[in-house]
Amino acid sequence: MTVITVALDSAGAVAAGEFIRAAKPTHPSLIDAHYEVARAYNMVNVPTAVWIDEEGRIVRPNEMAFADNRWIEYTKFDMTRYLAAIRDWAERGSKSAYVLEAKERRKRLPLPTAEHAMAAATFRLAEHLHETGHADAAVPLFKRAQALQPESWCFKRQAWALTDAERYYGTNFQKEVAALAGRPYYTPLDLGG
Amino acid sequence: MGALTAVILLPDRAVTVTGEAEADALWLAPAELAKAGGWELKPEGLCRGSLCVPVPQGASWVRGRGGDVRVDLVGLSRHMGQPVAASLEHAAWSVGLAAEDVADRLRSLDAPDFSLPDLDGRTHTLSSFRSRKVFLLAWASW
Repeated sequence: MTVITVALDSAGAVAAGEFIRAAKPTHPSLIDAHYEVARAYNMVNVPTAVWIDEEGRIVRPNEMAFADNRWIEYTKFDMTRYLAAIRDWAERGSKSAYVLEAKERRKRLPLPTAEHAMAAATFRLAEHLHETGHADAAVPLFKRAQALQPESWCFKRQAWALTDAERYYGTNFQKEVAALAGRPYYTPLDLGG
Repeated sequence: MGALTAVILLPDRAVTVTGEAEADALWLAPAELAKAGGWELKPEGLCRGSLCVPVPQGASWVRGRGGDVRVDLVGLSRHMGQPVAASLEHAAWSVGLAAEDVADRLRSLDAPDFSLPDLDGRTHTLSSFRSRKVFLLAWASW
């Protein structure tokens, strides 16, 4: 099995580099400065994992993939069970009970709507304006992308991280999580198997 | 509006073209249109790779003929179901992926391919890992 990590970070290596260097990874650790992977798989949060088999087929679509229980308050799921599932798949391949039936995989796919597609295009424009020195002009576009796909924590947290979230967006991560008032921060993991 | 240099943000890259902005439209000559997403004007219509779409009679996003033909990238993209976000002030047009195309690809269960750099600038392509299982993990510093 190969692990491939992809950093979703508009600031690219400037933002993600120190984490990658500190981890000294032996697997490909890629940088996705324009959310290409997030768009193609319609990812709305991190950490998100996709299981892909030897034929390049998705056997588990996007799902919450924390490596440990540091965020259990948010995840409400014992991630050691998820790690055990990955090991089971690594050993048993398609015989692993965690490889989902094709019907179940399709059911779980997060298919984008026209609004999501517009959100992604708008976010890309906002990133470009921010990157080319027009941070003020980028803010309303980031907001529009967030409004078009409110379930995307990527669009929110990335925009907040690029600037002073309180000043430009009147909010921050802690406030937004508090506003969930008990609703899950991340789609709960349904391990199956 | 006069001629302007426009940045076109495509799903996997950004390109610069020369065109003419007018209201909501960005009019491009064929050579510029080819840069902005690979569209080529042929007798059978507009083609990108092996895909050709006929230009509907009276399409509002094509004007002129022969050497003077111009295509409005915004109108064409919308015709193809691709979302467009633009900032005329900053001469930037973002042309996204059509929701239906992304959805069809996902429904096939073939993992969408991508090529991205690592910290050393070396490019890695997902499909080059065929014959191995891949645990693909997206994370972020924020």
